[in-house]
Amino acid sequence: MVTPALPHENLAAEVNARIGAPAARPGRDADRIDGVIPVVVVEPLTPEAVAIVLGWASETGRTVLTRGGGTKLARIPAPVSTVDVLLSTRGLNTVEVHRHGDLTATVQAGATLRETNAVLAEHRQWLALDPPRGDRATIGGILATNDSGPRRQGHGTPRDLIIGMTLARADGVVARSGGIVVKNVAGYDLARLMTGSFGCLGVILNATFKLAPLAGASRTVSVTFPDIDRCVAYADDLRVHAATPSALELAMPAVSMLVRFESVESVAEQQAYRAVALAEAKDGTAVVLSAENETVAWQAHGARVLEGEGTLVKLSVVSAQLLPTLIWLDAEARSRRLEYEVIGRAGLGVLCLRLNGATSDQAELLNALRGRLPVGSGSAVLQEAHADLKALVDVWGPIGDGLRMMQEVKRQFDPTATLNPGRGPGGL
Amino acid sequence: MMTTEFLVELEGIVGADGLVRDEGELITYESDGLVSHRSRPGAAVLPKTAEQVQAVVRLCHRTGIPFVARGQGTGLSGGALPHPDGVLIVMTRMTRVLDVDIPNQRITVEPGVVNLEVTRRVASDGYYYAPDPSSQVVCSIGGNVAENSGGAHCLKYGFTVHHVLGLEVVLPDGEMVHLGGEALDAPGLDLLGVVVGSEGTLGVVTKVTLRLLRRPESVRTLLAAFDSTDAAGNAVSDVIAAGIIPAAIEMMDRTTIRAAEAAVQPGFPDAEAVLIVELDGSQNEVETLFEQIEAVCAKNHGWGVQVARDDAQRGRIWMGRKAAFAAMGRVSPNYYVQDGVIPRGTLPEVLRRIRGLEQRSGLTIGNVFHAGDGNLHPLVCYDDAVEGQAELAEQAASEILTYCLDVGGSLTGEHGIGADKVCHMPKMFSEDDLATMQLVRAAFDPLGLCNPDKLLPTPRLCGEVPGPYRAHPIEVAGLAQRV
Ligand SMILES: Cc1cc2nc3c(=O)[nH]c(=O)nc-3n(C[C@H](O)[C@H](O)[C@H](O)COP(=O)(O)OP(=O)(O)OC[C@H]3O[C@@H](n4cnc5c(N)ncnc54)[C@H](O)[C@@H]3O)c2cc1C
Repeated sequence: MVTPALPHENLAAEVNARIGAPAARPGRDADRIDGVIPVVVVEPLTPEAVAIVLGWASETGRTVLTRGGGTKLARIPAPVSTVDVLLSTRGLNTVEVHRHGDLTATVQAGATLRETNAVLAEHRQWLALDPPRGDRATIGGILATNDSGPRRQGHGTPRDLIIGMTLARADGVVARSGGIVVKNVAGYDLARLMTGSFGCLGVILNATFKLAPLAGASRTVSVTFPDIDRCVAYADDLRVHAATPSALELAMPAVSMLVRFESVESVAEQQAYRAVALAEAKDGTAVVLSAENETVAWQAHGARVLEGEGTLVKLSVVSAQLLPTLIWLDAEARSRRLEYEVIGRAGLGVLCLRLNGATSDQAELLNALRGRLPVGSGSAVLQEAHADLKALVDVWGPIGDGLRMMQEVKRQFDPTATLNPGRGPGGL
Repeated sequence: MMTTEFLVELEGIVGADGLVRDEGELITYESDGLVSHRSRPGAAVLPKTAEQVQAVVRLCHRTGIPFVARGQGTGLSGGALPHPDGVLIVMTRMTRVLDVDIPNQRITVEPGVVNLEVTRRVASDGYYYAPDPSSQVVCSIGGNVAENSGGAHCLKYGFTVHHVLGLEVVLPDGEMVHLGGEALDAPGLDLLGVVVGSEGTLGVVTKVTLRLLRRPESVRTLLAAFDSTDAAGNAVSDVIAAGIIPAAIEMMDRTTIRAAEAAVQPGFPDAEAVLIVELDGSQNEVETLFEQIEAVCAKNHGWGVQVARDDAQRGRIWMGRKAAFAAMGRVSPNYYVQDGVIPRGTLPEVLRRIRGLEQRSGLTIGNVFHAGDGNLHPLVCYDDAVEGQAELAEQAASEILTYCLDVGGSLTGEHGIGADKVCHMPKMFSEDDLATMQLVRAAFDPLGLCNPDKLLPTPRLCGEVPGPYRAHPIEVAGLAQRV
């Protein structure tokens, strides 16, 4: 299948000739992914052009890696050997339709979350997602990784909000699933299949989402606790008291919690003060933040793990295992002299862990951690890691007995192994 | 065709009491809730365990016999319509609650467990299972998973797919897999998200782990009458525009109000339309927002406002709403339930067209719907005893679907495509869309044995004539969708 390698200039020219527009150029040093320079970088300005590039690549046996904002390419750290085509979706960046009366919007894949929400805010609505780096992360990238942030507690994940999608298959065929209405069970849900598929099944062209109204007011209760036990017990208390925070975030080893309430002003305020009282009953020291102070607190919280060196791990456990896992982690990290920071969704058991220290110790800790998490009852997935750690620890961890069917789905959607080969979940 | 040998093997798996062959007994399984489609299965089995299901599917796979899973048979799209040469796998004996895990807010059940039973099991702990189809006293969790069932409270809380965390599935080749789990975000493709809503075409579900929600601190329900469905529709739009997402907003028109009154006497006002609006959350929040809802109703000339002050009053209002389908039986010998969805804003336009159709066809068409998310349930009334009326009703129901598609809506919001609407699929999706969906089926069921002839159209089922769907070139390219 593979045609003899052309000089890079010629390959870019060939792509441009196919598209009929100067969308491709040879890869440069700055385009490196995991140390590999892509042969060609293409940034099509139309969905048709994306389909043409894919059709050409699959016919000629070339591999394609899709890039949105480029915020996560390094965070899908399965190593690559060669990348023929780096396909950027940034040329497709408009909010196509905002149906504010229906609380839905259709957005092209290359629009960033920030660009999208700026448009939606005109009608006091938003796409209720707050993953890291939302200023640069694109809708397509966020969907492909099913990424979310603290407000997942109140609003869910991309998977929960998507109602329709247009995608280009590896062979260049364009297909649509779902639609523009919030409730719809016609046909297989390809939009959910694509969500979290790390670009290994197709290229997302646009997506339609259910939106949320922007809340009138927000308050965040910031609490510090003497130990993690009381912090986790506090999260349980909030649940038992049927509090409805939009975010419920713990942090460790300096134990603290941020609890956010969004509603009309009087309600957010009242809920916040009730949360303060509950915190104080657990020996917490609590303050209520609003406006600028609130924004700063949330930025600092995210920065604890998201900005920095070392390994980034996404950890998921069931609620009852949250405290034992955190206690184990703290002891294990200390005994191995590893530095760590954890933040995460206390109400959901989804955590972000930053690790620093000797690679072999990190590897042992991560493998031991996985040993505590049988398939189905938790997972630890590497999001950022050095190649030497990746050599010792599998990026995804065990997938379970569903893997064979995932491979079969990959084979059906991408029989030429054009898209992101080897970099999909479970090595698809 | 089923051989004697096959039947002996089948009996060996499920035992003599688990195999139904008697023609008379098989009549029970001829149809689901959509009684206009009927077909008697070659045999029905009632397995008691996942292992028995697996053995049955393995046997079918080995011998090339089609099979169809059936829950409680309340489906409204013919999803559980048996295959005449196949085995019907009836899940009603798999009704064990396997694990109630309050600390983790999870429950694991066999698929035959009835929807409402889940909430019953955890209510005393202050929890509940959110998706609440009107059929919740009878329909099974397995059926809910297959149809991605919704309910009145899905506006705020989402559908079945938002509440299923883990599935055990016997794949069409008999292999058993576990998708998702107790914890969130299991690595790998979201096959769980695809199996939910796949209408029993990708395997037989044998175990389901569900998410439980904490009962809200406070719930308030309001019923208001309006002089037109347009006025009620405007009130819905105003609620949404105010940035409020109620737990539920339901609308009933005069025909369905009268039917409900005749059947269960909920005490609804005799009006052109009623809205039921429910808010839940913290006490303070509910009280504050409730005032806004009352103001919106007043602005749109709502009258006869009833506010449920306790569970009994709320129960009465919901009984009226949830009985609406069955109640049609009081005012019409037969009725056909449609399930189209429209963008909320197009409600007046679509209802006007439905009223025009009502006049033209001479058939009564009641309307009850999930107004918050634009899911219509037109009830087309007819009399089977009158020559040609059943066909007329089906034509009218099909025509309503085209109204929904004309405004960018969907063929089905919660009842599924099944056998009923399979030939309408090309009106909503292009050939490429359908071929891409077919890739999923090809991965799971290359032999085409698992609930065949449902969901995706084939030339054999629907003829070679391409559907009226004609994608605009820019739509094909993903630039725009029909709005
Ligand atoms: C009066 C009435 C009101 C209704 N109200 C609503 C409503 O408000 N919302 C709503 O969404 N639906 C509603 N429905 C439709 C119906 O109740 C739902 O679709 C329900 O989920 C079907 O469940 P069941 O157990 O009856 O499934 P069945 O009808 O037996 O089967 C439905 C589908 O599920 C498949 N299936 C069943 N069990 C399994 C399994 N274990 N593994 C794989 N596939 C399986 C079948 O093959 C079939 O395709 C209503 C129906 C009636 C009659």
